[in-house]
Amino acid sequence: MKKKNIIQKDLGTKLLRSLFVYGLALLIAFGLISIIIALLGFSVPEALKTLVTTSFKSAFGFQETIKKTIPLIFTTYAFTIPFMIKFFNIGAWGQMLFGGTAVAAVGLLIGNFGLPSFIMIPLLVVVGILAGGLWGWFAGFLKAKYDINPIISTIMLNFVAVLFVNFIATSPTFKDPLEGHPITRPLPSSAILSFFHGIPYSIIFAVLAIIFVYILLKKTKLGYEITSVGYNLHSSQTYGINFQKTIMLTFLLGGALAGLGGALEVMNIHGKLIEGFAKTSGAQFGVFGILTSLVVAGSPTGVPIAAFFMAVLLVGADALQRTMQIPVEMVFLSQALIVLLIVIIRKKFEPNGGK
Amino acid sequence: MTFITSFISQTMVYATVYTLTSLGIIIGGRTGIFNVSAEGILLASASGGFLTAYLTGSWLVGFIAGALIGAAFGFILAFVHETFKVNQFILGIILVIFGSGLSDLLYKIVVGVRLSAPQAPSVPGVTIPFFSKIPIISGILNQDIIVYFMYFAVIISYWFYYKTKVGLETRAIGENPKAADVVGVNVKRRRYLATIIGSALIGVAGAYLPIAITGTYSPDISAGRGFMAIGIAIFASWKPQRAILGGFLFAGIEVIAFQLELISANIPYQFFLMLPFISVLVIMMIFKKQIEFPASVGSPYSRE
Amino acid sequence: MENKNLVELKNVRKVFGKVIALDNVTFTASKGEIHGLLGENGSGKSTLMNILYGLYSPDKGEIYIDGKKVRISSPFDSIKLGIGMVHQISTLVPEFTAVENIILGTPEDKFKLPIKEEGRKVKKIMEELGLTFPLDVKTKELPAGVKQKIEIIRALHKGAKLLILDEPTTSLVESEFRQLLKSLRALVKKGVTVIFITHKIKEIMESCDSVTVLRRGKVQDTLDKGQMTKEKLVKLMFMEKDIKVTESALPKVELPTIKRSKKPVCVVKNIEVKGKEKSKGLKNISFDVYGGEIFGVASVSGNGEKELASVMINPSLLSNGDILVNGESIKHLSTLSVFNKGVAYTPEDRIKEGILNDGSIKENVLLGHHTEKRFLKKNLFINWDEAAKAAKKTIKDYNVATPSEELAIRRLSGGNIQKVIMGRAFVSPTDLLITHNPTSGLDVLTVEFIFNKLVETRNNGGAVLCINEDLDELMIISDRIAVLHNGELKGIFQRSEFDKYKIGLLMIGS
Repeated sequence: MKKKNIIQKDLGTKLLRSLFVYGLALLIAFGLISIIIALLGFSVPEALKTLVTTSFKSAFGFQETIKKTIPLIFTTYAFTIPFMIKFFNIGAWGQMLFGGTAVAAVGLLIGNFGLPSFIMIPLLVVVGILAGGLWGWFAGFLKAKYDINPIISTIMLNFVAVLFVNFIATSPTFKDPLEGHPITRPLPSSAILSFFHGIPYSIIFAVLAIIFVYILLKKTKLGYEITSVGYNLHSSQTYGINFQKTIMLTFLLGGALAGLGGALEVMNIHGKLIEGFAKTSGAQFGVFGILTSLVVAGSPTGVPIAAFFMAVLLVGADALQRTMQIPVEMVFLSQALIVLLIVIIRKKFEPNGGK
Repeated sequence: MTFITSFISQTMVYATVYTLTSLGIIIGGRTGIFNVSAEGILLASASGGFLTAYLTGSWLVGFIAGALIGAAFGFILAFVHETFKVNQFILGIILVIFGSGLSDLLYKIVVGVRLSAPQAPSVPGVTIPFFSKIPIISGILNQDIIVYFMYFAVIISYWFYYKTKVGLETRAIGENPKAADVVGVNVKRRRYLATIIGSALIGVAGAYLPIAITGTYSPDISAGRGFMAIGIAIFASWKPQRAILGGFLFAGIEVIAFQLELISANIPYQFFLMLPFISVLVIMMIFKKQIEFPASVGSPYSRE
Repeated sequence: MENKNLVELKNVRKVFGKVIALDNVTFTASKGEIHGLLGENGSGKSTLMNILYGLYSPDKGEIYIDGKKVRISSPFDSIKLGIGMVHQISTLVPEFTAVENIILGTPEDKFKLPIKEEGRKVKKIMEELGLTFPLDVKTKELPAGVKQKIEIIRALHKGAKLLILDEPTTSLVESEFRQLLKSLRALVKKGVTVIFITHKIKEIMESCDSVTVLRRGKVQDTLDKGQMTKEKLVKLMFMEKDIKVTESALPKVELPTIKRSKKPVCVVKNIEVKGKEKSKGLKNISFDVYGGEIFGVASVSGNGEKELASVMINPSLLSNGDILVNGESIKHLSTLSVFNKGVAYTPEDRIKEGILNDGSIKENVLLGHHTEKRFLKKNLFINWDEAAKAAKKTIKDYNVATPSEELAIRRLSGGNIQKVIMGRAFVSPTDLLITHNPTSGLDVLTVEFIFNKLVETRNNGGAVLCINEDLDELMIISDRIAVLHNGELKGIFQRSEFDKYKIGLLMIGS
């Protein structure tokens, strides 16, 4: 069938091109990193080996990798979904914080009601989703009604969220009097998710999120509208798609996912609200979410795998700092550099987005 | 009386950061390049500028280093955008991330972990005889050199863009790059120059934070001011003369919030610290109808 | 031996990706003449002149001015050589006044802004040529015809000895064209050479001393005034020898006499719409469109035609009045609901507001139909199989040159894109087709195809509302033509009454 062959050949070239883009960027970036590592006096082969293999060398390494992959999936989706309509959600940080804080606050407030796990956990998950969703929706609303650039609004909301976390974690109602750092009292045990062979149960939610996002974007009416607005805002509006509704929904969805990620961190990993819980290996999960999304050019299908590989690098970065005293910021900086290179190389060799 | 004087004095100091940063964004933005990397430049030049001043013992060399770091960021932004047509916002965001990582890393490498933070050489002040004795006015006039530099920068930018033909041509690039191209204006070169010069100004603002205000570098020293400056540039409708007003406004809000925090007992202090960030959004909501953008800002230009 | 050629382009080759825009083109123009450059859309005329002006660089070829070989790498160079160009789409800065626009780029006084002085100089040139316009108004407030005059003055102010005009009559009516011609003749008397790019044969024959015809990037021939006949020019312009075209190089189409529907399919009653930008919007417009007719609305750009096109499918823009489709008011309906009532639409700018550029043809055909029962499962999920079926049918019925509906629409030629947009309009039953400038920038074969589809719709009883800035086109395919000027309807002509000059005068408010 001639038609099938053309499409297959097309896909084949696309794949080759993508591999080329990633390959070239990684080559250049690792080359540069190696030079810097060497200049700073560290052993290059040892550093690179630690960076890439720590996740697979031990059960602990693998568990840590999964523990970082899960929140990263959520914050990457948080950036990716609005990015599909060409808008930038820089607020995954604040949305994650707000989701986690809301869960801690509600969890502690109703902790004495003696509600069992099968009510508490879904309830708190919904709280996290709604809180993060609200925080994200608000930025979408400000754009829809007041034409405020979401880059600015989400970042302003980030700072507000950070202060809000501090407020909750130091307020007498919630704070743990024994801790010096701003931390709340532990959540009631009915609100805690535990681990299965070192893997947090929150992974179930991550998998559900992956399925949800896939179906939403590829199969539903809303997904078609989001995709269309991303292709061409004017054409979509001309043919009846409501831009205001679409932008508020995408930011709501992005925020909701980040909020869920924050809720799960609080409920599964920490069991309480710890100031700074959204940070990992040198920067916020929100920031790494942006980098991860840009690596796969904002493609929603690429998110889970990209998040996993990013987590591998983050675990490696922690190991580098622990065993070789190379600051985690070194890896963070290199990641920013790699993303810049990928973005440039991709523009050069796939100027039409690979279609 | 002295309270008002000191309030004005403090506001001017912070206004320098806000104004220089938003002015830097405006200068580049008028040619169509929307520089959202301001926060990253502030951090990188705060760190680099401070370390240079500390190591050389000279505040001036520190500021020059800050300006150069800013210029480097500006060059990368213009180069990658014009040559590879990468989206300005993606570039800016990556540069913010890059700048924040670089700033902490530089500091860690040079200073490491210490019990007491190293201090930078201070910036000489400007004293005008007779006027410096008058209350309130002395608050305005008794400032360091960089504050006066800020005034100078605003005046020069205004004169350039609105009183000269070359400024008219440069503004034309921001409105309709094709219009400038067809009359022989070198669009690419002016975009490079404007972005680099603008970013250098942001670099000066960044160095100002540790060298003149706090005396030393600390992580997140910029505290979001780079993004707030983007807000200022927007509701100043990209006009230098309005940017300085915006700078005073936000510096004032920041100083008031801090004062309120000190004196309030009942309201948790975090809510005062939220004020500056919320104000950005409120002001942009109020001024929605009056905001004008250079029509082509944010889009790359190509002839074909 | 004195070289009579002012400009010579030799062996020019220009390729855009896989498309050969210019293939070994050699072009000369003599001093003191109006030299026409004739060819249909896509033949390479604009590309050739953009190379001369320095906006494009040729892959191969040389340029000679006054016999001397020159290198032109940007408009800066061409302006220095005395070349000026007025493009088809305005290249003025909308926020600046006429004087500010005119002094942009001039080399003297870079650090001053002598507006008053320059204003006086400009007034002089204006008076000499009989082209007048307001000096201190922002050009975004001015109509297209005036902007064109400003751009001509801008070129002359920089000392242009060679003036290139790219499709200058796009926004001009008959009477304005005659005025322009007068000014051009005055210019030629002063020693300026004019190159006149157009696809309209009639204009060439009325204004040019000689003409070079391009076809698919190749020079066909150069004729001087004595040798020009309509038949010769048609033959040179078009490869398809059996195509019948009018003097404006548009395909001829027959409109068989049919009975139009008893009741109008669409009733527009006293509608008022606020204007976008400088346009005054629409004021108290009323008309009916019947089944079995093509109702043309002619206007010069900026007189409310955009508002009319928008309000027909987005009635929320109405500030007064009502629109009825098949007797039912659509005043409070959303765009998608309007489509569901049997209305379809093709916008004027296919790239900016007609297609999902990086989307597949399948995704594009679904646009506007994605809430129809046929394409939804359980009112939540898209039925992609049905969408693929609809796309395949559109590709077949409209002869779209593509191997698959999955490929990105961006890869299609302009003509094929317009065919998809037109085909999309008929994916679900359509009683009223609203089409805005349906054939702008298309090659003659696609124009013929589109004309035939519109007439076919009409012959089958459908109503077609064709909003068009090209009066020549409307006169070929319309049963009736209404004129829109300054937001008001200024007269409705029956087919038997069509008169280009008369209608043109109404279009500019005379």
